[in-house]
Amino acid sequence: MKHQPSRRESAAQATAAHVPDPRRFEASKRVLLIDAFMNRFIKVGGIGVVVAVIGIFVFIVSQVVPMFQSARLDPTEATGLGDVLPEGEYVAIASDEWGERPIALRADGRFLVTDLNAAGRVEESGFQFLEGDTISAVSAMPGSGVITVGTAGGKVHLLDYTYEASFSGGKRTVKENLAKGYTGTFSGPVRRVAFGQSGAARLVAALTSAEGGDQLVVTLIERKRSLVGSGTWKETASIDLSKTLRPGVPVNSLLVSDRADTLIVVFANGEVDYHFRAGNETEFELRQTFRPFAEMTNPVIASAGFLFGDVSLVFLSPTGENVVFSLYRTEEEPVRVFHPTKKLTPLAGKVTDPFYTKSQRNKAFLVGSGKRVSLRHATTEKVRWEGDLPFEVRHALIGAKYDSLLLFGDDQRFHRYALDDPHPEVSLKALFGKVWYEGSPEPKYEWQSTGGSDDFEPKLSLVPLIFGTLKGTFYALLFAMPIALFGAIYTSEFLHPRNKVYVKPVMEIMASLPSVVLGFLAALWLAPILEQRVPSILCITILLPAASFLIGWLWSRQPQSIRKYVPAGREFLYFLPILLLILFAGWHLGPVLEKVVFTVKDAASGTRIGDFTRWWPSVTGTSYEQRNSLVVGFVMGFAVIPIIFTIAEDSLSNVPGALRSGSLALGASRWQTAWRVVLPTASAGIFSALMIGLGRAVGETMIVVMATGNTPIMEWNVFSGMRTLSANIAVELPEAPHHGTLYRALFLGAVALFVMTFAVNTIAEVLRQHLRERYKTV
Amino acid sequence: MVWFSGMWLGIGLLMIVTLLGVIVKNGLSIFWPSRVMEVELVEGSPAAIQGAKVLAGEVRKIQEKSVQAEKGGTAREKQLFVGNRDAFGFGFRYVDESDIAKISYPEGIVLAERVEYGDLIGYPVSLKLATGEVKADSADFTALLEQTVGAGNARRGEIESIEKDQIGKINHRMGVLRLSQRKAELDGKITEDYRTEIAAELAELQRRYEILAGKAAALRAEQKAGLFVYRLPTGIEREIPAGDLMQYYYPNQIGFFGRVGHFFSEIWHFFSREPREANTEGGVFPAIFGTFVMTLLMSVAVVPFGVIAAIYLREYSKQGPLVRAVRIAVNNLAGVPSIVFGVFGLGFFVYFVGGSIDSLFFPERLPTPTYGTGGILWAALTLALMTVPVVIVSTEEAIAAVSRGAREASLAAGASKWQTIQRIVLPASVPGIITGLVLAMARGAGEVAPLMLVGVVKLAPTLPLDTVAPFIHLERKFMHLGFHIYDLGFQSPDSEAAKPMVFATTLLLIALVVVLNASAILLREKLRRRYASSAF
Repeated sequence: MKHQPSRRESAAQATAAHVPDPRRFEASKRVLLIDAFMNRFIKVGGIGVVVAVIGIFVFIVSQVVPMFQSARLDPTEATGLGDVLPEGEYVAIASDEWGERPIALRADGRFLVTDLNAAGRVEESGFQFLEGDTISAVSAMPGSGVITVGTAGGKVHLLDYTYEASFSGGKRTVKENLAKGYTGTFSGPVRRVAFGQSGAARLVAALTSAEGGDQLVVTLIERKRSLVGSGTWKETASIDLSKTLRPGVPVNSLLVSDRADTLIVVFANGEVDYHFRAGNETEFELRQTFRPFAEMTNPVIASAGFLFGDVSLVFLSPTGENVVFSLYRTEEEPVRVFHPTKKLTPLAGKVTDPFYTKSQRNKAFLVGSGKRVSLRHATTEKVRWEGDLPFEVRHALIGAKYDSLLLFGDDQRFHRYALDDPHPEVSLKALFGKVWYEGSPEPKYEWQSTGGSDDFEPKLSLVPLIFGTLKGTFYALLFAMPIALFGAIYTSEFLHPRNKVYVKPVMEIMASLPSVVLGFLAALWLAPILEQRVPSILCITILLPAASFLIGWLWSRQPQSIRKYVPAGREFLYFLPILLLILFAGWHLGPVLEKVVFTVKDAASGTRIGDFTRWWPSVTGTSYEQRNSLVVGFVMGFAVIPIIFTIAEDSLSNVPGALRSGSLALGASRWQTAWRVVLPTASAGIFSALMIGLGRAVGETMIVVMATGNTPIMEWNVFSGMRTLSANIAVELPEAPHHGTLYRALFLGAVALFVMTFAVNTIAEVLRQHLRERYKTV
Repeated sequence: MVWFSGMWLGIGLLMIVTLLGVIVKNGLSIFWPSRVMEVELVEGSPAAIQGAKVLAGEVRKIQEKSVQAEKGGTAREKQLFVGNRDAFGFGFRYVDESDIAKISYPEGIVLAERVEYGDLIGYPVSLKLATGEVKADSADFTALLEQTVGAGNARRGEIESIEKDQIGKINHRMGVLRLSQRKAELDGKITEDYRTEIAAELAELQRRYEILAGKAAALRAEQKAGLFVYRLPTGIEREIPAGDLMQYYYPNQIGFFGRVGHFFSEIWHFFSREPREANTEGGVFPAIFGTFVMTLLMSVAVVPFGVIAAIYLREYSKQGPLVRAVRIAVNNLAGVPSIVFGVFGLGFFVYFVGGSIDSLFFPERLPTPTYGTGGILWAALTLALMTVPVVIVSTEEAIAAVSRGAREASLAAGASKWQTIQRIVLPASVPGIITGLVLAMARGAGEVAPLMLVGVVKLAPTLPLDTVAPFIHLERKFMHLGFHIYDLGFQSPDSEAAKPMVFATTLLLIALVVVLNASAILLREKLRRRYASSAF
């Protein structure tokens, strides 16, 4: 627009000569149209690209955010509501994995089925088993497929329930199937029962009242596979544990683990007995007696239950205190026993007649009393959801897929609620803090996202990964810094310009080496060599600087007549043969040194042999791995050197020549000029070079994936591996289910990487711009 | 101190040279046919194979033993590539030098490349053909073997062409038909006529398929007809179908020029063939092709966006603190780890965009994803995003270097802003744009980490470009040189056997990247000389 006047001027001049058509000076419509269009287009496009590029960050963050949402459950809207069941006391419930046809066992031994899909219609099942007896004890562990019933007549019935799903026209119909699996006879009325099953072995524990006091009997039943059919259950052992009972102290509840190897007896005085049976033995050993609420005035246990996986017990006190005990071994103990590991927020309100149920998919559990329901997660010690329902809960189940809650209320109806809690195992503490995982003797930072079994507890602490990232970066910079910085100083200050032309492109080529190549060389070529020659490397790192100092010193003592033979700026060329010589010497000195210093006693022959890889663990107590941080540092250094070198060299070279000339003119030596004048001036640039190098090392992926063992450990040992954030993503993301917890946790790792590198680079960039301004003023 | 700092530069340069040297040496030496050494072992040597005292192979390595004997002196061992994995169960053997009684280089030994089980090393005994058995010492054996192997190779090519191209086309067509039926069903527009029509065509295709399959089976039987009988160095006679031989030579007979010829033919095979035996044998053609197509797609995406953004930042936006911040942000994106872009690519392109495309356009194929899984398009776009800052920065620099005079002259002559950019600014900055593009390509070609997340695979059955419409298959997974290295070196069942291939692939990748970078550097130097600019 501002060019308009000049155009008009020229037009005016033209008019003075002769009168041309004024339209001659107008731009054609087409040109203007294209111009306007392109202006728009480029503006929109340019802003679009910039926004899109920055949108990357926004998108990645958006993938992470849902991970921190707490559970969602709407207590006002049930997704399934059953009709009112007939009058009577209902002692147990069970359900299919979709929560569609729950069954309820009435105290008279009849089963009532509610079809939540068919508007909650109630049917009575024809199945009967009591034969005139009355129910005196019930246990129904979710997911076990068995309801255990003890009767006043001294019988224990194992009732198998299975569901068959049939599909027709894309719709699912579920049909329940009830059968009597096994009936055992005990002396006297059964007061408490518990049941556990592992493969072909079932364990039934029953507490019966007899004349001489209570009796605790555990029966082991096994199924012998026959050629036709699955065979019948046979009692193989009966173990009397009555003598472990306390006279006068009633037993509140019995628990048997799913592995059928553990029996927990909860007494009314708040004591808990832990019995264990090893392997296929038929003997139980009382391993431990403990009081979960020992420090409280009324140490009574209101409810107790296993967590999924049967390694932890969840206790609730009448005042609402909620603690978790886990099995682990300490140094002093010969076997694993229960120790307190977690203390969750107390359940609000007074606890009377509480219910407890575990999730069959993760470490979540549901406790509550009356109308209050609280969904909690043991790993994170978080309350996922807590609230009051419009009815009092009698029995509760968590859906098999952890997507629904099935509750049986005092209104004699089934209520099903949708549960939306895709990431229960995540909290800020689980990601960045120490967590006391099951089976571990202490809280720790740990990353282990997948395990061998279904009941595995995911350990998603990013701390070991961040630690690994920093460790790799540290060793890489330790190695790269001297080479890159001194190399840059030499190149910019002393090197002959004619050589400079070659040095810089070589460095740039080095920068372009794909990291997969470096990683491959590190792992398959360098690591095996280094493994045998660690002492040689030690020798070389000591010899080299020493030699260069010595030569430099000797050289400066030589008269000018000799010194002129090596022109300034060519020293490094002349140094190369010496360098090779030293490398060679150090290389072969290494094994000698190894034989003298790094000796270990060979267990087989009893002689002392030189072997660094065995000496290191024996002296430091840490491990030696072939793919270790030294290798990574060395090769990642390769990737980082050219970056630091190029930027540092640029900023050094751009220091105004006047400073240099001034310093030299005042009589400073070349080194004094470089060290005292040039370097301080360019210090910001050097720093930014280091920062950018750091950023590259932090994000480097392939080298680390290939050249370390990828073990997420936390130790500074040079000879052990590590796992970095980036390697972790590369290794685990391809297998992570879309929108799963691991997927989001890995995205969080990516966010951490992004933020780290972006911050570091921004600082570096700002510094560099400052420096540029400063050079302009000098 | 000058010497001290010089030393570090020396170390740095030495490291690069050593590294490149190691790769070049190892990468090239695998193509060079070395002589086959026959070794006679002393009595009771642990290196004996199946009780035989004699073994033969190429010497791959001579090294000090890791476990040294008690006595002084360093014992050394040779690693021999003995081949014949089908007979021995392994391909390599370490032999103590002290165990060797006699070394010879027998003339008659032959090294043959087979379809399966790696190389064969042994003495030819005879050829059992339909026309009768021909002994190795008869005069026409050499010619006959040559002819048989040639015929076998031709037949194998034919089988491949039938099974891959022709049957592949039929299968493709069948798939299309089934999908179109399913689509019609989903849309509720299916008619009985249409159903029968499709069934008829399917039947016709099935008939054609059976004819072709029969043809292929016949050829296969022919491949198995002739037998090549050979004697292992250990003395056992074995036979394999002559059709399984791909090529052979007498490593101890051919002279220097023969070796050179073999060297180049091996290199050619490496470039042109498809990988076999879990990628440890054969060539890397699909990987080269995949890398090439992916890089090309990336360039197509990266240039317009990069250039438009650069023009906007330089010519249109108001230069202020905001634009400066944006510029820094864009610059810094170049420093964001590549894996982060991979993560983004997976989450955004593959799952979000790809998933949406699938549910909109390919509902009939679900739940099998079409675009909702890694593919060459997503890989290219991810890398384009990763490299767009490179192009933006270098284009901006080039635009900034265009002299103000030229620009103002153009405007003064009445050109519009766009005309100035189009006719003056852009042509002058083309070298800068190309430099950026080449740098981006070099970075893209060498990058692996993000690709692992968005569509690279160890073995792609089909190329992303072929003769089946629509010719370019953007949704297909592909192979990549860099990933090939990772996969061979770390996921291979027999890493020792894979090592030569890894080195060769590495050499190829490095050559590619270095050439790209070197050309970018040269270009930039040229550019700098033309427009001496102050910015570094």
